[in-house]
Formats: sequence, C-alpha cells, structure tokens
Amino acid sequence: MHETSIVNSIMKTLEVEFEEEKLNKMIAIYLKVGKLSNIEPRLLHNAFTAKHYCGTKFHHVKLHIESTEIKIQCESCNHITQIENYKFTCENCHKPSKNLIQGEEMLIHKIEFND
Amino acid sequence: MSVDKSTKAARGTVQCENTNINLLKANDYVADIIKSEMKKNKTLLINVTSSAGSGKTTLMQKTAEKLKDKITMAVMVGDLETERDAERIRETGIQALQIVTGGICHLEAQMVHQVLPEYQLENIDLLFIENVGNLVCPASFDLGEDYRVTLMATTEGDDKPKKYPRMFLTSDLMLVSKSDLLPYLPFSVDAVIKDAKEVNHQIEVMQISALKDEGIDAWCDWLLEKVKQKQNN
Ligand SMILES: Nc1nc2c(ncn2[C@@H]2O[C@H](COP(=O)(O)OP(=O)(O)O)[C@@H](O)[C@H]2O)c(=O)[nH]1
Ligand SMILES: [Mg+2]
Ligand SMILES: [Zn+2]
Repeated sequence: MHETSIVNSIMKTLEVEFEEEKLNKMIAIYLKVGKLSNIEPRLLHNAFTAKHYCGTKFHHVKLHIESTEIKIQCESCNHITQIENYKFTCENCHKPSKNLIQGEEMLIHKIEFND
Repeated sequence: MSVDKSTKAARGTVQCENTNINLLKANDYVADIIKSEMKKNKTLLINVTSSAGSGKTTLMQKTAEKLKDKITMAVMVGDLETERDAERIRETGIQALQIVTGGICHLEAQMVHQVLPEYQLENIDLLFIENVGNLVCPASFDLGEDYRVTLMATTEGDDKPKKYPRMFLTSDLMLVSKSDLLPYLPFSVDAVIKDAKEVNHQIEVMQISALKDEGIDAWCDWLLEKVKQKQNN
C-alpha cells in the first residue's frame, strides 16, 4: 500500500529531475532507506516490479535498496550511537536524544545510465 | 548487488549520477505551504494518529462537545473508504469533512492542501486532522501540523511504542485511550510510558477515556493552552 505510493513518488521525482532522453537511458536506481523509514525493501521491490507490468518507461531499470542503520549524535557529548532496540539514548553519556543523523531517510542516492 | 560492469562496458560505458533526492521532497514542500497558511490564520493544526479503532473519532466528538462554545474547532478526517466518521463528528455541530483516500493508507500533505479551501481558516482556532488508522505509513508524512498526537488504546497491548517507533518518535503527545477498560485488561500504563520515553524522551503522556469523560478536561486544557500560544505568536 505504502510502498506503491513510494514507487510512484520515485517515478515522479525522476521525471522532474531528468530530461526524458536521459531517463530512457536509465538502467539502475539506488535507494537508501533508513530503518526508521517504515519501508520494507522486499515490499518496495514487489511494488516496483508490479509497476513494470503496467508499462512504464522504467521497465529496464533495476532497483537497488540499501537499508541504513539508525544513528543519533548526542547534543551533550557529540558521540554517535547506533540505536538498538529503539532506545534513543547516548551510549557514552547516557543522555536521551532525538538528534537523528541517519535512519529516517528515503533517498535516491545514485542513478546509472547507459551511454 | 552492483551492476555487472563488465558486460555493460562491452555495450558502452555506464554513467553514474550521484544524487541525494529526498523522496518525500514533494510532500514536505506542500507541508510547508500548509504550515504558513496556518501561521497566517493563527490556526492550530493537530494531526491525530492511531491504529484503527483506538478512539480517534470518539475523541473528536467529545472534544467538540467540550470546546465548541469556547473556540472554533473543525476536523478533517482521512479514511480508506467511507464518510461515516465525518458524519459522526458533524452531529456535534462542528464542521467536519472526509478525505476518502481510496485505499491509500495515510494522508499526504497534498490531500490536506486540496481540501483546505473548504475551511474558513481565518475563523478557525483549532483544526484537527484525524489520520487514517494505522501507525506505520502516516508516521512518514508531515502534514504541516503544529503537534502530532498519537492514541494508544488500552485494548491494543502495551508494546506498541517499540513496534512503531517512528510514530512515537515524531509524536508530541501520547494519549493512552479507553482508560475505563484498564481494570479488565493486562495492560501496564507504566510499561507503555517507559517504552514510549525510551523512544522519545520528550513525549508527553495523558490518560483518557472519551466514554467515561476521564482525563478529557486535562486534554482540553492542553489544547486551549496550545491554541493560546498559537494566537499570541
Ligand atoms: N471503552 C471505551 N470504548 C471506546 C472509548 N473511545 C472509543 N471507544 C470505542 O472504540 C470503538 C472505536 O472508536 P472510534 O472512535 O471509531 O475509533 P477510531 O477508528 O480511532 O476513530 C468504538 O466502538 C467506540 O465506541 C473509550 O474511551 N472507552
Ligand atoms: Mg475514526
Ligand atoms: Zn552523550
């Protein structure tokens, strides 16, 4: 459900960012999705594949999804902590923090084109 | 998972473009527009989220009854298919419109923005958005709200904050709803507060029963205070 609208927004975003001619040469899309982004890579792949059968111009394109860990940077001691079990606390000074530096993103971080 | 460059090289070179395109850029752009509309009109916007059936609509009805003589309040309701919730809220005498999402499991800023012209924002002090009932998808979509309030019913089990961390991380207030049922359920309010605070140490917590009118006055006071702050800004 959610994944379908993400796929739509990938397509819309790329259509805005790149010229038609360039899009036709696109062969791969690389996404970074944080573990907090609520995106299930498997479902996103499925949604992307389902879209292909609806005949979009992206039907040659491969989707790669990298899932990224949740990290916070402590406001008091600057230490960076990778969050386990959703406990948002600095492992160095034990202060709670919501200062996310990684983990909520949904980014298109690389695109490959065939020359 | 990398593209096989050797075969590609035979047909020509692979050209790479490194980007950093945020997939929610379009949503966040519209959310900012909503935010500035609300600011201009001094309307407090609250996004209410929860699982299906946690008591959002009932709380909207109860809140309308309590506050409609003190402030002007209106509601926008997202639902997968039906108009029922908006009708229930309209019976209390306030404006309520339904956004039927047609199967989409969350509201996006664009949908909210589209129906905004139906509201006379300059006369509305408090606008609620009752989001679609689930704790996953709505968490990712900023609707330009001032506050996000998440209901957690005592009937749901007390392990929700860690199951749906993004929602609790992005919420300002957690309402433990249906508190009248606590005597009958193996639900620990302390455990749910502990988990919610581990995820988000700044989250505020209140316990309410819309049915038995418990904690509703405290909730309404919280709202009135936020409305006042918005109008003085
Ligand atoms: N016991 C009890 N039931 C409630 C309370 N609030 C709502 N309900 C019931 O929970 C069900 C779902 O409520 P509703 O407001 O439609 O939930 P929504 O899906 O989140 O909008 C209804 O049958 C309500 O009567 C409450 O405070 N206590
Ligand atoms: Mg409802
Ligand atoms: Zn620290």
